[in-house]
Amino acid sequence: MITIEGLTFQYKNSNRNAVEDVHLSIRGGDFLGIIGESGAGKTTLIRAINGIIPHHLPGDYYGSVQIDGEDTFDVTPSAISLKVGTVFQDIDSQMIASVVEDEILFGLENYSIPRDEIEARLSGALDAVGISQLRYRNISHLSGGQKQKVAIAAIIALRPKILLLDEPTSELDPQSSLAIFRLLKELNEKHGLTIIVVEQKIMLLSEFVKELAVMKGGRLLLHGSVRNVLKNTEQIGKSGINCPRVATLSNRLTELGVKLDGVCVTLDEACSMARRLMYD
Amino acid sequence: MKGFLDYALGDTFFHHLNPLIKLLISLLISIAAFISGSHLFIAALIALNLVMAARAGIFQRGVMLLAGLLKFSAFIFILQLLLVRRGNPLLHLPLNLVITDAGLSSAFLIVLRLIAGTMPLAIMLSITQMSDLSNVLVLKCKVPYKYAFALTTAIRFIPIFAGEMAGIIEAQTSRGVEMDTKNLFKKVGLILPLCVPLLITSVKKIEDSAISAEIRGFHLRTGQSCYKRYMVTAGDMAVLAFSAMLIALACIF
Repeated sequence: MITIEGLTFQYKNSNRNAVEDVHLSIRGGDFLGIIGESGAGKTTLIRAINGIIPHHLPGDYYGSVQIDGEDTFDVTPSAISLKVGTVFQDIDSQMIASVVEDEILFGLENYSIPRDEIEARLSGALDAVGISQLRYRNISHLSGGQKQKVAIAAIIALRPKILLLDEPTSELDPQSSLAIFRLLKELNEKHGLTIIVVEQKIMLLSEFVKELAVMKGGRLLLHGSVRNVLKNTEQIGKSGINCPRVATLSNRLTELGVKLDGVCVTLDEACSMARRLMYD
Repeated sequence: MKGFLDYALGDTFFHHLNPLIKLLISLLISIAAFISGSHLFIAALIALNLVMAARAGIFQRGVMLLAGLLKFSAFIFILQLLLVRRGNPLLHLPLNLVITDAGLSSAFLIVLRLIAGTMPLAIMLSITQMSDLSNVLVLKCKVPYKYAFALTTAIRFIPIFAGEMAGIIEAQTSRGVEMDTKNLFKKVGLILPLCVPLLITSVKKIEDSAISAEIRGFHLRTGQSCYKRYMVTAGDMAVLAFSAMLIALACIF
């Protein structure tokens, strides 16, 4: 569905590549988490997928990003947005309207969705993210988590195949962060949406996504299923990210010769592993 | 004036007025304030603005707006008071300055006009959703959507920038900068350099907002894309007629 081949991009007035020779293939229905320290190139990768690069942000662009076989270089961001929806890091800047209903209507009106279909899409998007009760509320009075849900609803109302999220929980408390990831998982599993999320919280990502990609210095360091990626404690550490402690523990035990089923990703899995080791 | 121009949610008669009528009545009240030469009539217009704010459920914001405008007007009042030299002298000041009865009257008139002319638009914009305003400008006035959107976005960003500025001032205060000084010149001197970080964050926010609009099909929008319909009701016509009557009264007084 998304094929990135040899993507290299250097922003204008910068002397280093923001992303360098990135090759990545993402299938339809995937839930991919991209992780890496600040300046690793995560946001640039997102911008290249939704077409902001090279259409809005100037710089040196090499390689290609294809969505369903269509090169993003050849189509406008508006056309790409019919397939790819993006939720940015700064939610307040993303809001166009003052009231939730109008925020969701903005995209629907722009794409001239038929009037009789608009109401269904509007209420459907609000229901899908569980904020129907906020429909007529003033956006500036909502909490960070609620605003994040409004931004997601505004995008999924357009029914894109792919949803990109750039650090959606950066300004949220742990409970709201969990709620957002539960929602993303539901959208991925129930609605078949392909989701790519950039995040700093590796524990949160590991628990919810199907695949992980680790970036460092603009390069893709690791990519694969969560369990396969988390086997590489040392490499993840070198990328400036702390590997989840449960994964580090299971990797150390494996190194010490303890036979385990695989790397532990969640705390529950670590508890089961500990119980097995104690009683078996 | 925290929250100034921030949309105040409500279900009042004024909230339900057609956005275009809201613009028109605020314009007519402003014109009435500038036509009239009567202090009393213009003061009555200010009172009318406060009544409108109260009926729209934003009385406190109306009072805050009035207080803010009074502070802003103080400088103009003093300038006018000292520069008008016609009329009977009331008080002689050093540096050959004189306060006259005509100067006092003129200074009051200018301040009243400034307040009565500014309040209606600020009140009406506070109870109008910017998306409704841009829609109605496109549908009824045939303004290209690009320009209507730019106008309403500029208005929408005013409270956002005010909030940003408040945050920057707070950060400076926490670092020991005496931002709460009573010395006006010192305060201006301290605030001016803060315009640079404000400008940087503002440009970033505007750029993000533009990209956000673009990736939601902004360039594909047509004049007929609007979902909502904006009818002119009997209530709209009644308010418009009342505003027109104010113009007539302003011509008399």
